[in-house]
Amino acid sequence: MRSQVINLTVNGTERELLAKPGTTLLGALRDGLGLTAAKRGCAQGGCGACTVVVNGAAVPSCLIPVEVADGATVETLEGMASGQHLTPLQQAFVDGFATQCGFCTSGMLMSASALLAENPAPTRDEVAVAISGNVCRCTGYAAIIDAILDAADRTRAVGSAAAD
Amino acid sequence: MLRQVLLPADVGAAVSTLAGDPTAVLVAGGTLVMPAVNTTVTPIETLVSTRDLGLAGVAVERGIARVGAATTLTALGNHPDLGFLRPTVASFASPIIRNLATVGGNLFASQPYGDLAVALLALDATAEIAGPDGPREAPVSEVLEQRVRPGEIVAAVRFALPAAGTWRWTKAMRRRLNSAAIVAVAAVVETDGGVVSAARIALGGAGSRPVRARAVEAALLGKPLDEASVTAAASLALSEAEPFSDAYASAWYRGRVLPVHIRRALLGA
Amino acid sequence: MATTKHMSPIDTGYFSDERAAAFDVVGTPAPRSDARGHVTGQTQYFEDVAYPGMAHLKMHRSARHHALVKGVDTSAAETTPGVLRVITHRDVPNNWYTILRLIGVQPDDEPVLAEDRVLYLGEPIVAVVAETEAIAREAAAKVRVDYEDLPAVLDVEEALKPETIVVNPKHGHNYFTYEGHHCRRIRFGDVERGFAEAPHRFTHTYQSAPIEHAPVEPTGCVVKPEADVRLKIHSDTQACYFTLDNTALILGVPFNRLRVIGGTVGGGFGGKVDVMVEPIACIAAQLTNRPVKYVYERAEEMQVSSPRAAERITIDDGVTDDGRIIARKVTILVDAGAYSRHSPYGTTKAAAHMPGPYTIPNVWVDAHCVYTNRTPSSAMRGFGVTIADFALESQMDRIARALDIDPIVIRLRNAYRDGDMKAHRKEVEGAALVEVMQKAADLVGHDLPADCRAMSSTHREAR
Repeated sequence: MRSQVINLTVNGTERELLAKPGTTLLGALRDGLGLTAAKRGCAQGGCGACTVVVNGAAVPSCLIPVEVADGATVETLEGMASGQHLTPLQQAFVDGFATQCGFCTSGMLMSASALLAENPAPTRDEVAVAISGNVCRCTGYAAIIDAILDAADRTRAVGSAAAD
Repeated sequence: MLRQVLLPADVGAAVSTLAGDPTAVLVAGGTLVMPAVNTTVTPIETLVSTRDLGLAGVAVERGIARVGAATTLTALGNHPDLGFLRPTVASFASPIIRNLATVGGNLFASQPYGDLAVALLALDATAEIAGPDGPREAPVSEVLEQRVRPGEIVAAVRFALPAAGTWRWTKAMRRRLNSAAIVAVAAVVETDGGVVSAARIALGGAGSRPVRARAVEAALLGKPLDEASVTAAASLALSEAEPFSDAYASAWYRGRVLPVHIRRALLGA
Repeated sequence: MATTKHMSPIDTGYFSDERAAAFDVVGTPAPRSDARGHVTGQTQYFEDVAYPGMAHLKMHRSARHHALVKGVDTSAAETTPGVLRVITHRDVPNNWYTILRLIGVQPDDEPVLAEDRVLYLGEPIVAVVAETEAIAREAAAKVRVDYEDLPAVLDVEEALKPETIVVNPKHGHNYFTYEGHHCRRIRFGDVERGFAEAPHRFTHTYQSAPIEHAPVEPTGCVVKPEADVRLKIHSDTQACYFTLDNTALILGVPFNRLRVIGGTVGGGFGGKVDVMVEPIACIAAQLTNRPVKYVYERAEEMQVSSPRAAERITIDDGVTDDGRIIARKVTILVDAGAYSRHSPYGTTKAAAHMPGPYTIPNVWVDAHCVYTNRTPSSAMRGFGVTIADFALESQMDRIARALDIDPIVIRLRNAYRDGDMKAHRKEVEGAALVEVMQKAADLVGHDLPADCRAMSSTHREAR
C-alpha cells in the first residue's frame, strides 16, 4: 500500500502532502494539512459538513479520493477571512445568529460563498436550494438563509458605494 | 481494504485495469462508491478514476444529445440545449452532490436513488459502452436490467430530444429539497389530433430498478390526454410495479400514491 | 451592532409589577461568544484534535436483539496486521454501571462490553484498536460471536405480561422499581369519584416512535495518555462530569486521574449525555499507551446511540358539560429499551408533568419505565415531557371537538393559575399560561369571549 504525493492549491497556497490510499480530500485537509474547519459528519455525502470549494464548485470533500483531487484548487473556510477581517458573509452569520452548535457552519458558509460567487443577488428560494445539501440539526435554517441574503445585500452595498 | 487509486489517461487503460482486477471499481463522482469505502468493509482494493478519461461533456446535434458518462448532473442541468431537463435535474439530490454525481454513475444507483436513470429510461436512451471486447451499444433499459460486463465502462448516453412540450417529470419527496424519491415519474407523451399517439413512461420507486409502465402507455394510446383516461390508465401501473419499503416510504404508500403522481406528471394536476 | 430584521421587540407589558426596573438584558441582542470561532472555522471540536501515533477503535456489535453469547472468537481480529489490541469485557475493571448511579439510581444494569448475553441489536461486545480506522473496521468485522437466540421483547405491553421473558436480569422483571413500586405513581384526590360526577368520559391512547437526535457531529472522543499517567479525554459529551465520574468508576481510578476537555458539542439535543465511548477509549489508551480515537460511524449514530423513548400514553378523562376536566387518569409506558440510561428519570418527569398545565382536582398517574430488547433510550430535549404534551394536547383538542368548545377556551377554562396545587403537590408559581394563550389568540386574530379575556394567571375570577 504505497502512499502518494499530492499537490493541492489550498486557499491560494500550494501545498504538498503524502496520502495513503483511502484518504479522502477531507482527510487530507484535516489530518494532512491541519485544516479542520471542514467537518466529518457522515463520511457519505449526506450532511454537507465537509463542504469545500474545489475548482470553483462546492462539494462534499468526503466523497473525493485525494488522488483524484491532485492538482486541484481548494478553498476552505480557513481562507475566507483576511486576518481578523471577516467577510460580509461571515459577519452576517455572526450578526444574524446564524450559528448554533457551529458544526454545520463551515459547510454552510462554503456552499453560500459558492452561490454568491455565481449569483450575487439570489432569491430566498435560490439560497434554500444552495444549502439544501447542508444539514443543520439545531433547526437554524431560517436564520442561515436570512444571513446569506443579508450578506448579498451587504456585498452589493459595498460594491455600489465603491462605484460611486 | 482500498490499496490504490488509479487515474488512467484513457479509456483503454481503464478497461484493461478493470478487466484484469476483480477488486477494482470505477469511480466517477464518488457519491456511490465512497460512502462504502469510507464507512464499510468492502472487497474494493482498487479505485479506477474517470477523471482523466475525457468522458465529460454534452453535444447536441440534429436533435440528438450525446452526454459523456462523466458529465456531472450540474453540467447536464445547466446545458443550454437541454433546457427541458433543467427542472428535472433540479429535483435530484442537492447542488453539492450534483456537482460530483455523474450521468454514467446514475445508471448504477440503487433505487430509490438514480432519478436520472428513470428519466433516461423514458427518453429511451442508448448507452455507449467501452469494454475488453471493444465498443458496443445497449439500450439504457438493458444496462439497468443487466448492468455491464466485467471490465466494461459506460462512456456516454445518447437520446433524441423530446418534441417541445412532450417531456413530463414528477418526483414525490418527503421534503421539498434534497430527498430521495418516494416515487418518480418520467414520461414523453406525444399527441396527434387530440389523442395520445406515443407514450413512454418510466417509474422510480416502483421496483428494484427503474421500470417502464408499459400497461399505462398502452392504455393511453388513442385516448385524449384528459383526467378520465389518464386516471384509468394510471391505475394499471400497480399491475407492473413492485413498490418497496424503506426509510422514505412504505411499499403500501408508494403503491397508493404512484397512480396519483402518474396523473400529476401527465396532466400537471 | 447590527440587529436582525426578524427579531421583534419583547412585549414587557405583562406582569410589570413583578419586573425589576433595572432588568433590561432580555430583549437586547448580544452577540454569541462562540460565533466568531464558528464562522472562521477556529472552534475546536473533539475530532479537531490529532496526536501523532493516534490509534483508532471500532466496535464489534451484537447482530441479535436478544441472545445468549455462547462464545466469542477474536483470533482473526488479533492476527490482522495493524491491530494493536482486542478488548473484551475481561479487560474492563468494573464492567457494570448505570449512568445515574451518580445520583443514587440503581441497579448497575449495563455492561461496558457484553458478557454472557446481548440485549439489543448493536450492543457492544468486542473493541478493536488498530493503526488505522480501516484496519480497525475490518478486524472488528472478523470477530465471531456464537449466539443462542432468546425471544426478543419489542413491545412495552408484552414486556409487562407476567409470562414474558425477563429482558434485563439485573432488574428481575421488565420494569424499573421506584421506591418499592412497579411504577412511578401520583395519587391526588379521588379519580373514581370524579368520573362518577362527570357527564362525559374520554379515553384515548397515544403512541410515539423512538426519535433519533442525529447530531451532525457523531458521538466520539479522543483519549491521550499523559506523561503524568493521567488520561486526557477530548469529548463531545454534553455532560463532562457524568463522563468523568462514570469513566473513573469503570476504570477503578480516582477522579483526578482523568481530565475531560469538552463543552464544544456539534449538536447534542440530549443524545450526548450517555457515557458510551469514553470508558472503552480510555481502556484502549491505557492498554496500548497510545492516543486513541473512538467515534461513531453515521450508521452507529443512527442504530445504537440512544433515541428519545417511544411512549404509549393512555388518558382517561371525566369532563363537565362546559369542558372542565374533573378527573384525569393517565397510564404511561416508557420504552427504556434494554438498559436504564436516563429513562427512570425521564419516566418520573413524565409522571410529574401530568396532568399538564391544567388544574384538575382528581388525578391518578401510573408511569412505567419498561425494559425491552430495543435500543436503550435516554435523554432528548424535554424527554418525558414532549411526548406527554403531544398526548395531553391531542386529548384537549379531541375533548374540545367532541363538546363543540373552542380549543383555546377549553384550555383557558382548565388552565392552572398561581397558587393552585398541582397533582404532585407543588404549588403553581409564575404560570403566565392564561396571558400567553390570550396573546397567542390576539396574534392569530382569534376572538375570545369576554370571560376568557378577563381571566388572569395571578388571580382566579369568581365563577
